[in-house]
Amino acid sequence: MPTVPPTTHPTAQQAAPQQATAQRATLRDTASQDPAPQEAAVQDTPAAQAAAPVIRVKDLSFRYPGTDRDTLRNVDLTIERGDFVAVVGGNGSAKTTLCKTFNGLVPHYWSGDFAGSVHVGGIDTWESSVAELSARVGYVYQDFQNQLVRPTVRDEVAFGPLNFGHADYRERTDEALAQLGIEHLRDQFVWQLSGGQAHLVALAAVLALRPEVIVVDEPVAELDPARAGEIYRRLRDLNEREGLTVITIEHHADFIAQFAKSVVLMADGAPVWHLPIQEAMDRHADLSSHGVPAPDAVALTAAVGAPHVALDVDSAVRILRPALREQQVPGSEPVPAAAGAGNDGQVPGPDPATPASGMVDTGPEAGETVADTAPPAVVASLRGVHHGYRTVAGGLSTVLDGLDLDLHAGEKVALVGTNGAGKTTLMKLLTGLIVPRAGTVTVDGIDTRSRSAARLADHVSYIYQHPQQMFLKDSVREDIALFPRGRRVEDAEAIVDRVVAEAGLSALAERDGRSLSGGQQRRATLGIGLAMRPRLLLLDEPTSSLDIRSRDDVTTMLESLSGTVQCAVVATHDMELVATWATRVLVLDRGRVLADVTPQELFSRPELTTQTRLVPPQAARIGLELGLDPLPLTAEDLRARLRTIDGTVESARADHLSRTDGLGATGFDTTGTGER
Amino acid sequence: MARKTHDVLSVDWVRLELLRTAYSTRGGLFSRMDPRMVLAWYLVMAIAPWFTHSTGVLLVLFVLGAASVVLARVGPLVLGLFLIGLLGNVVGLFAASFLFGGDLGTLVALGELNLKLGAVSMASMAAFVSLDPEKLSDALLWFRAPELLAFGVSYGYRMLPILVDEYVTVFEGQRLRHAPVEKPGFLGLRVVWQWCVLAVTAFYPIMLNTAKNVRTTVEALETRGFTYGAKNEAGRTLRLAYLRVSALDVTVVVVTVLLVAAAFLVGPGVPVIG
Repeated sequence: MPTVPPTTHPTAQQAAPQQATAQRATLRDTASQDPAPQEAAVQDTPAAQAAAPVIRVKDLSFRYPGTDRDTLRNVDLTIERGDFVAVVGGNGSAKTTLCKTFNGLVPHYWSGDFAGSVHVGGIDTWESSVAELSARVGYVYQDFQNQLVRPTVRDEVAFGPLNFGHADYRERTDEALAQLGIEHLRDQFVWQLSGGQAHLVALAAVLALRPEVIVVDEPVAELDPARAGEIYRRLRDLNEREGLTVITIEHHADFIAQFAKSVVLMADGAPVWHLPIQEAMDRHADLSSHGVPAPDAVALTAAVGAPHVALDVDSAVRILRPALREQQVPGSEPVPAAAGAGNDGQVPGPDPATPASGMVDTGPEAGETVADTAPPAVVASLRGVHHGYRTVAGGLSTVLDGLDLDLHAGEKVALVGTNGAGKTTLMKLLTGLIVPRAGTVTVDGIDTRSRSAARLADHVSYIYQHPQQMFLKDSVREDIALFPRGRRVEDAEAIVDRVVAEAGLSALAERDGRSLSGGQQRRATLGIGLAMRPRLLLLDEPTSSLDIRSRDDVTTMLESLSGTVQCAVVATHDMELVATWATRVLVLDRGRVLADVTPQELFSRPELTTQTRLVPPQAARIGLELGLDPLPLTAEDLRARLRTIDGTVESARADHLSRTDGLGATGFDTTGTGER
Repeated sequence: MARKTHDVLSVDWVRLELLRTAYSTRGGLFSRMDPRMVLAWYLVMAIAPWFTHSTGVLLVLFVLGAASVVLARVGPLVLGLFLIGLLGNVVGLFAASFLFGGDLGTLVALGELNLKLGAVSMASMAAFVSLDPEKLSDALLWFRAPELLAFGVSYGYRMLPILVDEYVTVFEGQRLRHAPVEKPGFLGLRVVWQWCVLAVTAFYPIMLNTAKNVRTTVEALETRGFTYGAKNEAGRTLRLAYLRVSALDVTVVVVTVLLVAAAFLVGPGVPVIG
């Protein structure tokens, strides 16, 4: 498999529009022994001189002190001025280390064995300093909150220019804030900012130094998808309007497909290839085998054998429309009134993928579908609940406003809505950590006013958004055992052993929770929650800041919740999780329940998702555009309704990866032979 | 006993009060002043009481301190803690001395020290409640305090609200996951003891989490020219260029100096016991 399609390298300006900036596709490829790429790397066309590359890495190897193998191995990479590059690759592929060579943190801050060279805007980083290079390359960290060091936004943004003694620091501050459209935040205190705002401020602080390149490390990790999309749109603006070179480190292929102009795939300390976006996505099998699963638009269009995969929803719809199996006439389909009906309505035929777990079986959604069964038991209820918090200025800000709600046994509830809609407050009311200012909250038949939160914890448990706040002991096992041992639960040790095994933590049980990876930390906190054996389990953003693989792990674990957990409530921005897991969705907006629906109904009402800034899964958006009824929620659902080139209908998500690998190969082979 | 939401004397209230104090959101006379002049004013008020043993002078200075607390709009939490500290000190020492054969004369002797401490503490409250972190850090920088100290002060303020939030979260988690005591014991002492243990152990995860987070901060400081700025005068000059001494500043400091001088003149004549 050649690394570089020979047609892509000459004359940058005339190449296909999207691909122009990244025609160089040539890196040392561990998998390929093809000699061609090395030749392609030598740029000698006149166009190359007009715009010298902004970053040129040659034969770079780097080893952190105290380690016995190179983190970066023989990296050759050129990044053109004005490119929008996504650096992708699995955990430990040295994406971050590579990007830290651009602003001199490697080797000047992280000293180690450094061989080869990195030139940024013609300057050899080895002979420069972090201070000098930082003026050219701005860096926004993954944990950007820790990057903010001053109390107010204005001071934060001016901090860099002031340190470097730029007399025009005020203009630079105003300019940076204006570029991102956040002038209104200038007098805010840093701790008052929401996550998305804080990220923009970190970005503005970097822009105030007027860099030529910005590196953004995983913006999606700490932000919800809607806000991450906003960050990406701003980055695209900067890239297109100001000609800034943007480099992002990213796991989420849907953002890459939508925004990047070229993709660098890293594996094991070296780039595998650097290709224009279309070609990169056409090789989704490579991406997927390196831990970056293809977005739905790419996977589905590849499955129907499109010569070039679709990068976004609109083009996916164009490609997929002719590939639909027997188009159903709306209204005559076998499942009547699908949108309002119970969850079972959505599954077409023998599809085992969608909700199958002990919890659902207890009862269908609401009394409306089946009249003869008794309504399921109420686990928790809220009646006329009002709540609000005092502000620093002394006023009362209302968060929940007259909420009436029943949660039933057997339900898997997703709580969605914008930040500040009252999700966390609702959860805290259910735990009894706070009591409402008016109205009553009843959990498991107990009025929360009548019992302390510590006693209510026998009935309800709450899992925080940030796992490290739940690690109170020095090993995961001790943390899981804390509750059952403290309450002298019979067979506490047996429970702990079982939970440790269920959460897949047997090998990690003696380690400190903080030393685990993000996905392992989540599983550990889920284990803590399960060992409390609650009737009602509450989870705050269980899948945020996880890469896709770990997110799937957590989702699988949520699927298998059973036994003593009668009802689970998840506050989330993750619509994939809503699509695959939830049976009921509560949409909160400004302290009220805006809608109480099934996932399908939620995603078939664009006005609802827009108002609450939710981004439905790509498959659902494509399905909606195609006018499918019932609406498919996952790529598997949608795939079953397409004529795919291999003609079979697979569904289990487990073999997703091997399947896309196989398809990738056949997809490539057949494109030339005129399939569709 | 039915639980309800408390707006004062609750954890949330303490958190809000800390923020109001640290970020001087209540305004007040001194918050409108140049931070350097506030520090100068503070030096006058904090040093003067140490130059006298006259209870009369100290009483006048104490009243001046009280007046500045009012002008600075010090919040109830800080004021309450101050009063508890001061009164506790007086009562405690008096009780102790009484046990060892003291009489009312001891109280007068104690009065001098406590008036002194009280006057100084009130001046401190008034000054620091009025300085938001940015101003305080700039004033320190102007007085040639080490760069790292000036930065540390403002960084501490920036971290405070976040650490308080995190502390509250961890503490709540502790309460949920530890079994409540079965019998409250004499005067609920066991409950109090458990609260104390949990309150202290809640610091453990926070310190570890912070240690982890700070690594990014240090690296980011490097990329944003902090060490470069510390070595180069230009940044400091630019940063401090906005500081202006206004008529208000001069008036406040001059009036204070005059009042303190007057206290030393008039004070010995003030009728005080002893």
